[in-house]
Amino acid sequence: MIVVEHLAKRFGKRGEVLAVDDVSFVAPGGEITGLLGPNGAGKTTMLRMLATLIAPDAGRATIGGRDVVVERAAVRQRLGVLSDARGLYPRLSGRENIRYYAALHGLRGADRDRRIEALIDELGLADVAGRRAQGYSQGERMKVAIARALVHDPDTILLDEPTNGLDIMSVRALREQLKSLRAAGKCLLFSSHVMQEVAALCDRIVILAHGRVVAHGTAGELVAQAGTQSLEDAFVTLLGSGEGLAA
Amino acid sequence: MRRALVVAAKELVETFRDRRAMMMTLATAALAGPIFLALIFNMIASQGERARTLALPVGGAERAPALIAFLEREGVRIVPMPPDVHARIRAGELDVALEIGPDFAAEVAEGKPATVSLIYDRSRDRARASIDQAESLIRAYARQWGAQRLMLRGVVPNVGQPLDIVAEDLATPQQSGALILFLVAYYGLFAAVMGGMPLALDATAGERERQSLEPLLATPATAGEIVAGKWLAVAAFAGLVVVVTLTGFYLTLSFAPLPPVGIPFLFGPREFGRFLVILLPMIALMPALLLWLGSRGRTIKEAQTNLSLLLFVVSIVPVAQLFLQRREPDWLVAAPISGQYLLLNRALRGEALLPGDLALSWVVPAILTLLALWGIARRFSNESILVGK
Repeated sequence: MIVVEHLAKRFGKRGEVLAVDDVSFVAPGGEITGLLGPNGAGKTTMLRMLATLIAPDAGRATIGGRDVVVERAAVRQRLGVLSDARGLYPRLSGRENIRYYAALHGLRGADRDRRIEALIDELGLADVAGRRAQGYSQGERMKVAIARALVHDPDTILLDEPTNGLDIMSVRALREQLKSLRAAGKCLLFSSHVMQEVAALCDRIVILAHGRVVAHGTAGELVAQAGTQSLEDAFVTLLGSGEGLAA
Repeated sequence: MRRALVVAAKELVETFRDRRAMMMTLATAALAGPIFLALIFNMIASQGERARTLALPVGGAERAPALIAFLEREGVRIVPMPPDVHARIRAGELDVALEIGPDFAAEVAEGKPATVSLIYDRSRDRARASIDQAESLIRAYARQWGAQRLMLRGVVPNVGQPLDIVAEDLATPQQSGALILFLVAYYGLFAAVMGGMPLALDATAGERERQSLEPLLATPATAGEIVAGKWLAVAAFAGLVVVVTLTGFYLTLSFAPLPPVGIPFLFGPREFGRFLVILLPMIALMPALLLWLGSRGRTIKEAQTNLSLLLFVVSIVPVAQLFLQRREPDWLVAAPISGQYLLLNRALRGEALLPGDLALSWVVPAILTLLALWGIARRFSNESILVGK
């Protein structure tokens, strides 16, 4: 479970850019929580703070009961991150890319190899896993990036715009993957500026604009709150406009 | 520590996968020695050759038959003076020429000093041996003639020779051939920098450029572990390149059929080992500096620009020292690069390597290495490295 309380982050020399402003929400285990907002709403900054990559200026956040600032190392052990940057090492094969992350997570021996092979099968990478990542398609690269984020079987998974640049088939495969992780009781938090995606997948939705939470709740709650017919209309109504979003 | 080793192993595997870059780096390192030594030996050998069979164009040879006979007795081949002698000497086609003055016979008859002109261009290194030989032969002739004149007047020739100069050359056999020594030391030093460069850039700016740094920083590996691992990998590779470079020199000097140029100097297994011990601080420091500079670039290209200053300093310091005429001050041994260069030269000249000097030469590089690594770790844990994509 992710608990975020009054989180804030400023950037710039004098802190003049307020990227995340007093954000609070809860993302429970066994559910997919969507962070919806136009580009520049503070989604990536939000996820980076939860991934312990940058420190918040105010507020606190816990993942599985552990503070992301104070217990950084413990948080990282149980956290899988698919960040916006998902470069692979081109001269290593897909399998070696995944194994590198497994080793960095301290996995070793036969257990590690079993885990890697299971992920490769699950993600349909069996045919390409032995080839150098240099020649991978967008979809194949994405799958390897997911596999390396999941290789240590984390309880909580953060995904930053995971469908960016993917073709339809890859998006569908990704959705299935996320659903099966949810079924396994994981806590998933993913950010997107695509309304359809959030509507199709998420149990809970947090709508962000200009670094603030505009609304949050289940799909039903959001529709009721906005007084609209569809979830998409609710997004537009709650945000004040559909600018920066994709259908 | 375990994670640092995981990082180091992965960086090395990736480096060795890049076959073409690998081959280029190692081949260049291995061939530097043989190629440069071949050029230098060739130069020295041809200098010796020229000096031995000096062909001297003489103008107005008929005016001083005794001088010509003396020169011929000394093994000089007298050739006719070409009309465009100045142009030819400037162009480097001729080393030196002798012109007997038109009034030579008259001046001799009057007992005045007779004029002979030596024409040469001393800025040409290759011509120097011939010039020196021609000059000393003519001086010897003048001395001999002068002595004969004194004897004719009943004076002991020693009167005109108040000083007896005895030259005592203290150069040990190893001390000669300074240029070769310089090159061996220079390339050993340079290998420590150049060897680690591609890997260091790939491991820092490369990670940023291909967007693999952020996921790496999100793993349980700390910035310190990541930096330590990358440094280990680059240092190991730089060390390999140094060993390959020195092996190239060693094999050339010990086994190649070199012309007998009279420069017996030492580069045996003992010097090889000493070189490695002296270069060890550079094999630690240069990779750290390369990584530090690399981490300040968002792309490999940007990082390369940052590197040019380092390359400039490393390449200019030994050259500056070569031209330094004064004896090096004692503190110089503690200065990175200069210290190593100084000790490498001592090792090659066969001088003793004092443990105190060696320890001193390690101190500053060790401190700088730690500072650089600390700087990179700080940079990697600073959020700006993520934001400044």
